[in-house]
Amino acid sequence: MVEMVIDENNIGYIPSLGTSFQLNETAKEIILMLKQGKSKDEIVEELAKKYNKDWREVFIDVTDFMEKLKIYGVIQ
Amino acid sequence: MIIGISGLNNTDNPAPGVGVAKGLLEKHTLIGLSYDPNEPGIYQGLFSKVYLMPYPSVGAEEFKQRLRYIKEQTGLEAVIPTLDAELYLYIKYQKELEKDLGIKTFLPSLSQFERREKAKLAQLAEELGIKSPKTYQLFSVEELIKLLRDGDELKFPVMVKGNYYRAYKASNLEEAIEYFYKISNEWGFPILLQEVVSGEEINYLGLGNRGKLVGGIGIKKLTTTDIGKIWNGITIENPTLLKLAREFVEKTQWNGAFELECISNGREIYLIEINPRFPAWVHFATAVGVNLPQMVVDLMEGKEVEPQLDYPSQKMYVRYVDEVVTDFKLFRQILTKKEL
Repeated sequence: MVEMVIDENNIGYIPSLGTSFQLNETAKEIILMLKQGKSKDEIVEELAKKYNKDWREVFIDVTDFMEKLKIYGVIQ
Repeated sequence: MIIGISGLNNTDNPAPGVGVAKGLLEKHTLIGLSYDPNEPGIYQGLFSKVYLMPYPSVGAEEFKQRLRYIKEQTGLEAVIPTLDAELYLYIKYQKELEKDLGIKTFLPSLSQFERREKAKLAQLAEELGIKSPKTYQLFSVEELIKLLRDGDELKFPVMVKGNYYRAYKASNLEEAIEYFYKISNEWGFPILLQEVVSGEEINYLGLGNRGKLVGGIGIKKLTTTDIGKIWNGITIENPTLLKLAREFVEKTQWNGAFELECISNGREIYLIEINPRFPAWVHFATAVGVNLPQMVVDLMEGKEVEPQLDYPSQKMYVRYVDEVVTDFKLFRQILTKKEL
């Protein structure tokens, strides 16, 4: 479960830890998709299609981003 | 009620007394119990009288005599002690204070107090089913060198902690030795050497009533001073932290205020320290609607208290610097007459 809540200024906040993050548009999109329960493969596919990018390139970026989310305690 | 409160320091290393007093000021007569005429809380207009107390190391008789004198002078009915170094005396003699002097307290028993000592924390954490960092109790610098240079149990950085006060992160042996002497020269032994756990520091301030958690708030410190004292903080909702607080109170049958210091990486919580008293940021709880000092007074008076475990999330605590200009004769008076 992704606990992060995102406000109108794209600040992501984790209520149980009191930590805040400034998100860019893509980060926000990925977190919202994770909150919807989408898998990494689904997120990669959706982003690759939307931004017209090679899925391999998107896969590397999404994997890297999700590793960071784990380090920050945003996802388990 | 006429209530004595200790811990009046309010510098960059504030004690809890001023925060406790702010929660009780409107309804009660407050007596300041100070150890040093320089403590800013003496001069903040919170206390109707202030008395210098003998240092706890002077012994129990001096301590009881002083409280008896203050009782005679002011009609003191209760004391809320807030300093680690004096708690042992108050806890040990809590029944005697009530019976012989008519001074109420609301404190844990000696065995409850000892169960959460830093050196015994790992055992308590295990009983609570929670992780805690590896901690070693040291009485000599040789032990420290042996552990850090020759052993593989601990890797740098490590925390060097006093039994009551002070904690420093050491990145190498030289720093660890420096902190060992810095803390032991001021606060004595043992010195504790603790594994550093990475994650976010979160804290829970709670109040136990004979084994039942009756109030509390969870916070995260957003910014701190060099020695880890909060500048800004935020209320958090952390069900795991609340569960831990409940279990700690139930398991130890805790009575009185306490602060859990934990580290969370989002997956699990590590228990770092349990302070057996209010923290200096206690007024944060009062300001978000959980007036724990008032609950302590209600419990001391034998009243039923409604549990207050709900509070608004994302409320921000901001500590700031303030000044008071007063007459130097007040300082001279408390220095010479030991009361004001």
